[in-house]
Amino acid sequence: MYRFMQRKMSGAIAAGAFALLAAAQPAQAQSTYNVSISLDYSGPFAAVMDSWYGGQQSVFDWWNETRGKTLGVKLNVKTYDMRYDASQVARTWPQILADDKPIVFLGMGTPDLVSLMKRLPGDKVPMIMGTAMVGPLWTANGWHFSFRPTYSQEFAGLFSYLQGRLPEKRALRIGTVSTQGIPGYVDQVNGVVKLAQTYPDRFVVANSQWVDNTPINVTSQVRELLAAKPDLILVGTNTAQVVATVKAIKELGAKVPVVTSSHNGLTEVAKAVPLADLEGSYSVFAFAPSMDPSVTAAQTFEKYNKTKGTWGLTAAQTAAQALLATAAIERAIATVGPTKLTGQAVYDALEGPAFGPEHFQGLLKSVAFTKEAPFPTANLSVKAVTVKDGKLVPVTADWMVVPELPKW
Amino acid sequence: MLPSGVHFRGHAEEMRLLRTGPQRAALALLVLLLVAFPFFASTYVVGLAITVAITVIAVAGLQITVGMAGLLNLGQSAFVGVGAFTAAALYANYNVPMLPAIALAGLASGLVSIVFSLPAIRIRGLYLALTTIAAQVVFPIVVLRLPTAWFGGSAGIGLDRVQIFGVAVETPSRFYFVAVAVMAVMLLIAFNLQRSHVGLAFRAIRDNDIASSVLGVQLGRYKIMAFFAGAVFAGVAGGLYAFYIRYVTTDQFTIWLSIWYLGMLIVGGLSGPLGAILGTLAVTVLQELIHWGGNRMMAAMPQLSGGVIFAVTNIVLGAAIIYMLIREPHGLNHRWSVLKSAYRIWPYPRA
Repeated sequence: MYRFMQRKMSGAIAAGAFALLAAAQPAQAQSTYNVSISLDYSGPFAAVMDSWYGGQQSVFDWWNETRGKTLGVKLNVKTYDMRYDASQVARTWPQILADDKPIVFLGMGTPDLVSLMKRLPGDKVPMIMGTAMVGPLWTANGWHFSFRPTYSQEFAGLFSYLQGRLPEKRALRIGTVSTQGIPGYVDQVNGVVKLAQTYPDRFVVANSQWVDNTPINVTSQVRELLAAKPDLILVGTNTAQVVATVKAIKELGAKVPVVTSSHNGLTEVAKAVPLADLEGSYSVFAFAPSMDPSVTAAQTFEKYNKTKGTWGLTAAQTAAQALLATAAIERAIATVGPTKLTGQAVYDALEGPAFGPEHFQGLLKSVAFTKEAPFPTANLSVKAVTVKDGKLVPVTADWMVVPELPKW
Repeated sequence: MLPSGVHFRGHAEEMRLLRTGPQRAALALLVLLLVAFPFFASTYVVGLAITVAITVIAVAGLQITVGMAGLLNLGQSAFVGVGAFTAAALYANYNVPMLPAIALAGLASGLVSIVFSLPAIRIRGLYLALTTIAAQVVFPIVVLRLPTAWFGGSAGIGLDRVQIFGVAVETPSRFYFVAVAVMAVMLLIAFNLQRSHVGLAFRAIRDNDIASSVLGVQLGRYKIMAFFAGAVFAGVAGGLYAFYIRYVTTDQFTIWLSIWYLGMLIVGGLSGPLGAILGTLAVTVLQELIHWGGNRMMAAMPQLSGGVIFAVTNIVLGAAIIYMLIREPHGLNHRWSVLKSAYRIWPYPRA
């Protein structure tokens, strides 16, 4: 009897201890990995940084609380103020490598690309960008990735859509305003010239004007441009050029829409000119606009954002960037397990099959990389916003297909 | 001013860069500190030191053109760019080793500068400054228009591996030694140029070009030489920059960079190469402190947006430079001279 009681008691103690241990431990032990992010809190883009980081931070917090818990992985986000300066990136990077050992790095813009492109393959850390790319970066075997193709390809998607809606069957006449001497800006025009050369019956570059980087007045250049009777004027460079072009069009009494990208888009331009003056103009990019009803990332942002940023194009763009990172990490976990995640594993995941739209909370369609380019090159599609009756609205609910554009 | 009891037996002895025992000891200590630096500094600070070394070379070149010869140059960044592209192209396309590539980059910048120095024979002051701005405007357009095989066109040039004698110098500490060694060589040249007959001719032109020509200084020749020498320094700095960043594109070499170089030189003092060192150090440290302070301020005051902080940091930086110029219009170099002479004659007051 005594022995029976003793056995029963020790069994109860063991069960209690197990229950206590089980209660004390989470369902699955979590492995923690660092994700490092390049930001610009004291450089030229400081004004939009709250929304920029808000998009990324809300996605990583959402992922940690939901997907990460299930998968047994916690992502620790480390941010660095790179001041949008290539030298600053170059001198901060070794510290990031040594201290963070990140499994993925989220870049911000050209300084990150310039400083890290050649280092990443040796350091075995993939970098994911949120900005569109340029033709010169269309090179093979890079460790830098962007879910957005080149600016020219994004513009081509909208041009194709607009050409298909012309009342008569003719080529869309494109005017361009850009700056000589800045490689990325020149490349945007070169890509559009290539588009016109590839599809001469659909697109024609009516006239190209080269202006100062931050011009005060471009009326004389726009007058010359308007003489070529363009259907639209492409200003993919910066906000100052868009503002100057819009003012010149108004001054000349013309009604020609302006096509912009996301970084110099209508929201930014509307801070300097009345929205009424932008009626019919466009911003085009390879992600769904923030006000698109299908974008559930807006709710994620609303719930998890800890910054002073607001939901808009900037936050939507960086949320998409972060969602691509988490999608790659999830795939890497599935391949190597939650305890063996490395930069190489995330890179291999990025180079794998296409990431479906289910990963992107409505912001992206699907994303597929090949060794030949650091951005998707096939089955591309874009979305755009326009000003209608003084309000910013999506051009169409559907994705606009980008015509195939050979390398230029 | 030298302490009592120090005297020289000849002109050569008096013209030496290091004239006293304590000076030699101080230099030895400095060399020791520079060698030990990467072993106790963080990788970030080592990276900062590399940037400072590269900038010091470019600013020392500007000191030759602007400070020594009195020829205003607002296009130094373009010459840095020429050097960067030349070094990168030689290394990536023609397998020229790193150090010869940097030397040839200096030569290439010097040769290009001759084109822009020709107007200096006829004009000076602000008019000359305008022609140097032309160098800044023309540089990116020319690079983008040249055949892509030369300088990569709009793609720029990337450097996969950076090696010296087969040894990779990609880590901050290794590259630090290369950058500091090149800086030391260039500064030695700059200090020696100042006391050579060429340097004397440069200074004569700066003080009064008509009087110097009456004394036999060939104005045209020496003005071109002053531009050439300054641009060689810029080219070497550009070469080092290319190997440090490992990717060069035209938009890295803007007119703003030229203005910063000039600002650093003015803060440091135009009168000698030491001004280039002190100015670069002072402005870099100030920039770092302001950015650091800005980030701390933003963390402490979440109601402030990043845009406000950036605007404030720029205002503070500008104000600090203006304050330094009001307090010490001859630059930190002059303040350093005052401190040195005060120390040498201590406990007696300076006259």
